[in-house]
Amino acid sequence: MDFGFTNEEQAFAEEVRAFLRVNPPESFPETGMDAGYGSGPHSRAFLQALGARGWLSMCWPRQYGGQELPMMRKLILLEELAAGGAPFGPLAGCDQVADAIIGYGSEALRRDVLPRIARGDATFWQGFSEPGAGSDLLALKTRARRDGDHYVVDGHKIWSSHAGIADYGLVLARTDPSAPRHRGLSMLVVDNLLPGMDIRPIRNMTGKVYHYETFIDNVRVPGDYLLGRENEGFAQLLRGLDTDRFWGRFYKPASMRRILGQLVDYANATMVRGAPLSRDPVIRRRLAEVATDIAAVRILFYRIGWMIEHEMPVTAESPLAKVMADETGQKLMALGMDMLGSYAPLREGSRWTQLGGHIQHLYQTSLGHTIAGGTSEILRTTIATRGLGLPADKVR
Amino acid sequence: MDFAPTPQQQLLAQSARAFLQQHCPIERVQALALEPAGFASDLWKAMAMLGWTGLLIPQEQGGGGGSMLDVVTLVEEMGRACLPAPFIQSAVVATSILLDASTITAHRLLSSLALGDRIATMALVEESGRFDWEPLDTRCEAPGRLVGRKLFVKDAHVASDLIVVARGGGALNVVLLPVDRKGIRVLPLDAMGGDKLFEVIFDDVEVKIEDLLASEGCGKDLLAPALRLGALARSAEMVGAAARILDLAVEHARVRVQSGRPIGAFQAIQHDCADLLRDVMASRALVQEAAWLVTTGLASDAGTAVAKAFSTEACLRVARRGHQIMGALGYCEEHPLHLFHKRIIAAGLDCGDTSQHLETVASSIGLS
Repeated sequence: MDFGFTNEEQAFAEEVRAFLRVNPPESFPETGMDAGYGSGPHSRAFLQALGARGWLSMCWPRQYGGQELPMMRKLILLEELAAGGAPFGPLAGCDQVADAIIGYGSEALRRDVLPRIARGDATFWQGFSEPGAGSDLLALKTRARRDGDHYVVDGHKIWSSHAGIADYGLVLARTDPSAPRHRGLSMLVVDNLLPGMDIRPIRNMTGKVYHYETFIDNVRVPGDYLLGRENEGFAQLLRGLDTDRFWGRFYKPASMRRILGQLVDYANATMVRGAPLSRDPVIRRRLAEVATDIAAVRILFYRIGWMIEHEMPVTAESPLAKVMADETGQKLMALGMDMLGSYAPLREGSRWTQLGGHIQHLYQTSLGHTIAGGTSEILRTTIATRGLGLPADKVR
Repeated sequence: MDFAPTPQQQLLAQSARAFLQQHCPIERVQALALEPAGFASDLWKAMAMLGWTGLLIPQEQGGGGGSMLDVVTLVEEMGRACLPAPFIQSAVVATSILLDASTITAHRLLSSLALGDRIATMALVEESGRFDWEPLDTRCEAPGRLVGRKLFVKDAHVASDLIVVARGGGALNVVLLPVDRKGIRVLPLDAMGGDKLFEVIFDDVEVKIEDLLASEGCGKDLLAPALRLGALARSAEMVGAAARILDLAVEHARVRVQSGRPIGAFQAIQHDCADLLRDVMASRALVQEAAWLVTTGLASDAGTAVAKAFSTEACLRVARRGHQIMGALGYCEEHPLHLFHKRIIAAGLDCGDTSQHLETVASSIGLS
């Protein structure tokens, strides 16, 4: 067992930190809301800066412009970016799509899209959920029918992150309506600019926009923008959801550690009845406790990363770490709200706001985390059935 | 990073599990729990033959030359078996002190500990109940006399030697005494289970100069690492016990049928079991990471404190939730669940409880 980094890995981490010193996060314009997962706001310019360093494609095969570096590099990049509070919002999603395109995409798709991802010029949204298909995703109704060398797509997708400011959607549609629910599904890469795409923002409780709903009306998608094979979209979906639970949360502990540090500084600097808040035994204990939770989530995620790198089957591990990451995040942000007290509700830019007004925003976004990407309830059932072999509850 | 145990660690875990299944089945643990001594000397001898009691001792001193990663691997299996033995007290905590003391007396005792001929335990805690060396009321000069009273001393009834921490003048003295030295009285405390606990009274006990393991400022240099290793080992023990509770609960949920279905098909039970798995997996990962920090000689104070604080709370949750899942069955003395639960309680208190370790964590994250 070895829980350390090699000299090369440490040197790379330092390289990322140096990059952030030269390119401070606040110098990049925000193009989309920070959803609180730890990847900061959406910033196309920042993504392009990463692309210019070659970091968006460093683990890809050489034939697609990569450097074939080990996956650990990507983990270090994500951890350092999150620790530095960088605005790398869509990075993990782009990376997952790139992996899928390299794995199962057509040559046309690879040629058209991969170079754009590598430069930071293409971002993606996931078109999985529908108004009638949330936790029961297989109830989805969006159709795609073959018409010559195109698919014609019709349907309604919802809760797609940053869809309105992205370039492509990964749309799961039914290609064989007569097949059983989990068969006859296909995954298509759909250009936002195609005629018939109508993408509308959904304002959330923070007052900002993160999610969109998309009305897809007779949209013609080139046949070679099919990801994988027709009617095999379910396997793609499972792989996608599984990797999303990992890649979409891996960097969260580093970000939580950063917020924890801000709360520690606040506790040290804030006087309550003549003594620093940091001497309050309840606050001390709650901060220390959540520090242990964060440490646990971090090491669980690194373990999954190691399993993925060694091609070991990941079953209960990723939903388990995802649930724990999101519940720890909620605990941390609730503690932050408690510590700020009367100041807690004040937003960014308000008079008298504390810690940049970020805590109330992160508190609000944290509520969505245990719902997005599989609710904690669905995932606990997955852990129990897939991980522990408990019988499925089939009564319907 | 590499999360895989070495082939030697795999072998150690497998052979330990096989040995304990054969020689320390749960029925034997249950029988021992009902005996006042609760100790099987044949088992201890066999463990010594396997090299366990000398695992941490370097090979050139006649030991197994194992690391803390090896120790947590072995101790997790002991926890899984709920093995009642003074292993952590003697082969980890006392051994660590004796190794660092490097006096002739200490070396001589180490070989006897490795052979399983003698057992050592530490007498540190006093009325405060804290695993701390200040303030202490027990007084001792070396040479001179030892006067005072220690509480919550583990396994003193089977120990041959005591490592006593006391104040001498303004300094902290650590002395090694045979339990049968005149003036030492060992009085059992009647605890709910988990550990055998004793009050040890030192009534004007003679201390010779060669009994001294450390004096002046060196006392805490012996104690701090020993408590750290002890805390880690006890965390690994909790992980093993909690992993076994998880197995028992999941097995019960699979076979127990109510309303025409195994109770494990009910989401309320499924979700509890998922949390049990989370607590076991997260605790294990933190314990291994902390053991790696200790093994590589990196700053491990905070790592150990994080592992002990987290795994104590997590494994207690497993025990309590485990009881709920097992229902009335687990409430019975004849079911072993309560023994695992009590072991977790005992291990959680030993070598610093959650509050004490969280205080270390609080400092490490920068709270002033």
